[in-house]
Amino acid sequence: MDSIFLQLVVDGLANGAIYAALALAIVLVHRATGMINFAQGAMAVMSTFLAWSMWQVGLPAPVAILVTIVISMVMGAAVERLVIRRFEQGSEHTAVIVTVGLLVLFTGLAGLFWGYTAVEFPSLFPLGTLNIAGAFVSYQSLGNIAVLLLVVLGLQLLFKKTKLGLALRAVADNPESSSLSGIPVGNLLMVGWGLAAALGALAGALIAPKVFLDPHMLDQVLVYALAAAILGGLNSPLGAVVAAMLIGVVENLAGHYITIIGDDLKIAVPLIAMFIILLVRPQGLFGQKEVVRV
Amino acid sequence: MNRTIFKRRWFRISVIAVLALAAVLAPLELVPYANYQLTMIAVMGVAILGVNIITGYTGQISLGQSAFLGLGAYVTAYGVTEGWPVPLVFLLAAVIPGAVGLLIALPAVRLKGASIAMVTISLPIIADPLAKRLTDITGGSAGITVQWMSAPEWTGLADDQWRYYIVGAIALVFFVLAWNLTRGRIGRAFAIVRDNEAVATSMGISSYKYKVLAFTIASAYGGVAGFLYLAAVQYMSPATLSFIVGINLLAAMIIGGSASIIGSLFGGVFYVFIPVVAGQIDPSHTPIVYGAALLLILFLAPGGVVTLPRVLRRLMGRRTGRQQQPGGGDDQATESSAGKVTS
Repeated sequence: MDSIFLQLVVDGLANGAIYAALALAIVLVHRATGMINFAQGAMAVMSTFLAWSMWQVGLPAPVAILVTIVISMVMGAAVERLVIRRFEQGSEHTAVIVTVGLLVLFTGLAGLFWGYTAVEFPSLFPLGTLNIAGAFVSYQSLGNIAVLLLVVLGLQLLFKKTKLGLALRAVADNPESSSLSGIPVGNLLMVGWGLAAALGALAGALIAPKVFLDPHMLDQVLVYALAAAILGGLNSPLGAVVAAMLIGVVENLAGHYITIIGDDLKIAVPLIAMFIILLVRPQGLFGQKEVVRV
Repeated sequence: MNRTIFKRRWFRISVIAVLALAAVLAPLELVPYANYQLTMIAVMGVAILGVNIITGYTGQISLGQSAFLGLGAYVTAYGVTEGWPVPLVFLLAAVIPGAVGLLIALPAVRLKGASIAMVTISLPIIADPLAKRLTDITGGSAGITVQWMSAPEWTGLADDQWRYYIVGAIALVFFVLAWNLTRGRIGRAFAIVRDNEAVATSMGISSYKYKVLAFTIASAYGGVAGFLYLAAVQYMSPATLSFIVGINLLAAMIIGGSASIIGSLFGGVFYVFIPVVAGQIDPSHTPIVYGAALLLILFLAPGGVVTLPRVLRRLMGRRTGRQQQPGGGDDQATESSAGKVTS
């Protein structure tokens, strides 16, 4: 009983790490442009396929992933400049629909270039498992969690300790005043989207070895990630990570111990939890309350 | 000259009369598959009209219409299999999804913008495994086949023609209802809630109440579409209520025309024919055409296809405006070409 419980928690944390990676990308975009990018998962799938192609032609997997991350950053910035820029000043309503359009388009493009048959993706970490107090943890899961922690640390440093981070925060907070103080707002918005796309590419590369790679690989993960980002308050990277881990663990426990939920319906648990929490705390678990002046 | 003809009342009435006559006579001449496609346009048009009521008219994004369509179809399948009278089945197929929509809307519409999109996208994602689980009612992943809505002897019609008329008539009723709804007091309240909630409040309009109302109506439309879907297809499986379908319904609504009744019908045409057109090359290309069409529309004519004539006329006008200095005689030609698009 106890070892099963521990195993469920550990597996939940491992899944949570994956949701967290994509959730962080969503938070980055929201911090930069105040939008929720429903296409974040589809963009990440495109990146992962790109890495897969490079791996197929003989590049070592880590190199392929690194190159992909750089390319994704450029592509993410391009998407912001060419498509998103046009809708930033508009309503939130249109913004959501634009990213939904991108979601459909990118999924279709991935299908066009790489087909809909699932392919295998190389793992960055060795096979095998580690026994921690009776629970088995794969090196892959440990690696994913480690990478995630590094990313969170990196983002905190970026936002809190660098000039770029300060400028990014300023733009997210008040684009007009930032512009007046000489900050190149447009470029920074591109940086925000580029960083998010790079993070998405990393998330894709971490997830793909666990499931198989196909254009719809991240559809479900996107929903988890969105739930985590919203629960975490949309502006707090740490909040998103904690929420994602929590989601991973809670859904695993609920799926196992509450028989009526089971494995197939466990995805309902985080979504319903999100719904309830949003009603009680619309700003999320860790978010700052927004005050709207009319 | 052209323009004045298009604006005449008798001209419009006669165009509508010709179209109505064509709609009535078409199934007698067309092959069964074409009738099936026309029927599907009506089915999806009703589902998209529901999305339009909540998203286009009231401004609350719904990505979950497919869940209500699915619920309506399963209710219908269950009722028909149990041998209940069809009018009762129809009523339940509208009322049950409407009631479920109401229960979800009561708390959900308190959320803003992207949060409500997130809640609605969750609905198909939960409904899908639920439908697979409830095998007794839904037939699980394999789906459920129901044979019903066959043409009665006395009509002398084939099944596809009969279904076309039944589905078309019900769809027409719901289009007319939506037309009246959106042009009356409630429709004006929806528009104010969408455009500015603060103004709505200051005018004594409860945005909460109207959002709940819009969501409930939209859900009931989804349920009716589910009933019609089962009449047209005779088969229902969890694939029809997947979240991809929910997203495509929203996309089709925007492409057809946000806050436009006729736009919802165009949305239905898109929904049915984009896979056919894309399928000429390769069926898996459907999402690209969808995504590209949606983004193009958002860039060029955010009001949807229905506003294209207006947008084109404006573009033409601007261009002829520039050309006027050297030539000046261009006006007539562009006017008539813009006129053609309108017809």
